Amino acid sequence: MAYLDINNVVKRYEGHTALAGVSMQVEQGCIYGLLGPNGAGKSTLIRIINRILAADEGTVTLNGKQMTDDDITHIGYLPEERGLYKKMKVGDHIVYLGRLKGMTKADAVASMHWWLDRFDLKEWENKKVENLSKGMQQKVQFIGTVIHRPPLLIFDEPFSGFDPVNAEQLKVEILALRDQGSTILFSTHNMASVEEVCQQITLLNHAQVVLTGSVDEVKQRHKKNIIAVQTPDVIEPNDNLFTLLPPDPVKKHDTRIKLAQGVPVRDAINWLNEHYRLTGFTEVLPSMNEIFIETVKSKNVENNE
Amino acid sequence: MNKLRLIIAREYMSIVGRKSFIFMTLGMPLLFILIGAVPVLLAYLNDKGSDTQQIAVIDETGRYATALHSDDMYNFVALRGDTVTDAREFYDKSNGSIDAVVIIPRDVDSTGVVDIFSEGTITPALVSTLRNTLTDTIEAAHLTAMGIPDIQQMIEKAHVDVDVRTIKWSEAGDEQASSTEAAMGLGLMLSLITYMFVLMYGAMIMNSVIEEKTNRIVEVVVSSCRPFQLMLGKIIGVGLVGLTQMAIWIILLAIVGTVAGSVLGWTGVQAPSPEAIAKVQDMGAMQAIMQQVMSINYVPIVLNFILYFIGGYLLYSSLFAGLGSAVDQPSDSSQFTTPVILIMIIAFYAGMACMENPSGPMAVWCSIIPFTSPVVMMIRLPFGVPFWQLALSLALLFGTALAITWLAARIYRRGILHYGKKASFGDLFKWMK
Repeated sequence: MAYLDINNVVKRYEGHTALAGVSMQVEQGCIYGLLGPNGAGKSTLIRIINRILAADEGTVTLNGKQMTDDDITHIGYLPEERGLYKKMKVGDHIVYLGRLKGMTKADAVASMHWWLDRFDLKEWENKKVENLSKGMQQKVQFIGTVIHRPPLLIFDEPFSGFDPVNAEQLKVEILALRDQGSTILFSTHNMASVEEVCQQITLLNHAQVVLTGSVDEVKQRHKKNIIAVQTPDVIEPNDNLFTLLPPDPVKKHDTRIKLAQGVPVRDAINWLNEHYRLTGFTEVLPSMNEIFIETVKSKNVENNE
Repeated sequence: MNKLRLIIAREYMSIVGRKSFIFMTLGMPLLFILIGAVPVLLAYLNDKGSDTQQIAVIDETGRYATALHSDDMYNFVALRGDTVTDAREFYDKSNGSIDAVVIIPRDVDSTGVVDIFSEGTITPALVSTLRNTLTDTIEAAHLTAMGIPDIQQMIEKAHVDVDVRTIKWSEAGDEQASSTEAAMGLGLMLSLITYMFVLMYGAMIMNSVIEEKTNRIVEVVVSSCRPFQLMLGKIIGVGLVGLTQMAIWIILLAIVGTVAGSVLGWTGVQAPSPEAIAKVQDMGAMQAIMQQVMSINYVPIVLNFILYFIGGYLLYSSLFAGLGSAVDQPSDSSQFTTPVILIMIIAFYAGMACMENPSGPMAVWCSIIPFTSPVVMMIRLPFGVPFWQLALSLALLFGTALAITWLAARIYRRGILHYGKKASFGDLFKWMK
């Protein structure tokens, strides 16, 4: 049984369907990427998990139990569009968010101090939020999300608006939380970050799941049987085994070949090794970005036809 | 419940802790005091600041000029009518040492007209001094001229001010003195308080809702509590702010009233300037009104006031909260608030109109319809309202207030997450479903 189990969730608005029967299983202690273009239904799904919206059909279970309003204390949620009360003091603000999630005052204060210390924001505790830089406000938002030590964390586009240094710090914190046993649901269209941190992904498009699985498995499934070969020689095409592809714009010195249907990698490499001076070869796996674009585009074409 | 308390506390502190709140709370009474004090102060400065004006009085009758007594402001110089033939020439020759020339013509007894000439400004104060003094003097002279002995005393004896007392028959058959004026004043005050409070704090709630939306904090908050809790917390929090503000004002008013009373009393004894006398007389009148006000039976009025106040506030503040959630910026809110404010204004004017006839059909209907009842019933309360009307009106008010709160919560739930395209009234109805 998955930690967070979303089963056939449907959400309709006047005039359109935001989620048309979405299912998703998130295992405990993993970082799960929820991907999809704008308007695919990611935010609606996240709001349903957070019980901000109610699903029209389907169930959401947490740790094997149907979710109730009380479960929101087990979730830390950082929405894509996030903000703070500008006139509140940093410390008071964090404590308020913690207590809203059911912490005692003493616990919230202690936790707030620990996190402010960790993010080097100690001297800002009694300053008003409006006096903080944007980067610091984002750190405060992050602290507000994790202060109550929730077992399930939901980040909607967490890196948007962060500079590279802060984004890196945030990534380290997220991985540390995962190592401490938190389950993390991660909604983004930043594919580089998906490859770096996510183990599992689900790709939503037009209110439906179009792709799901572990990152490695998805990559294997979408590989195009392309091999990058390093050799000083000029390789001639061999129609039985492979066709030549135009060189990669970044790695210009590699020769890229695409294997013919049903040809094992080993046969092609053996043949090449016999005829040319091979210095190396690597199988080219598609990046998550390519898979994302390809899947979304092909589905859109299907839908349009 | 715990969350609700947290939200109320935050909302309350976020407003009360602001500098603008302290400024407003202390500034408003100061402003009122200033508005009240400036004319008195200006009049005082006028009296003290300007030199004594020299007024030449050319009395062609030779009988009335002596009645004009000189004081700090005006020095009346009586001149015989036959010594001055050309007033203009006389004025010019004085080279500014005379400020105005008054001519009491020979036929003043029949025409009742006196002229005053000057190149400078003739103040209304001078005109009224002349008019009052000469009217009294000439009138007295006419009475004397009639040759009836003791006519003055007779007139004084005959003089009467008719005072209409209003006495209310209770159903039990006993009589109770009541004052229509006091009842009207009290009713007006109560309805004004309700009206002001609902509009001021309704707007405050709306701003608070819009601020959370513009801040984008709202999604974080509603992931921790139910939107209804957030909305209710706001309404209660802001309501408490309003009560705090009122309490401070009442305390300030009491302090200022006590201090001002003692200071005015003191100057009244020391220097009976006309203003101070007028003030003391006003205060005497105030005391008379206060006595009448005391005669009103307060307990049911205060109880009902509190009930209507809560009901009206809940009704309108949840309307404002629901409507506020549908807009992104305060500047967009007017399309929704205008109808609400219009209803409030109608209620207020209906209340005014009902003062004339507090038991008429219009007053009765407007005090039963929930949207106008909190204001209109305040006007009627001091005059006495049949129990069944009160019961019906309160039941309707609270029923409607709860229904509106429920509907507003449904709008609010959707509205706070709605960004971008401006919502229309049609959207609001869809969200209610």
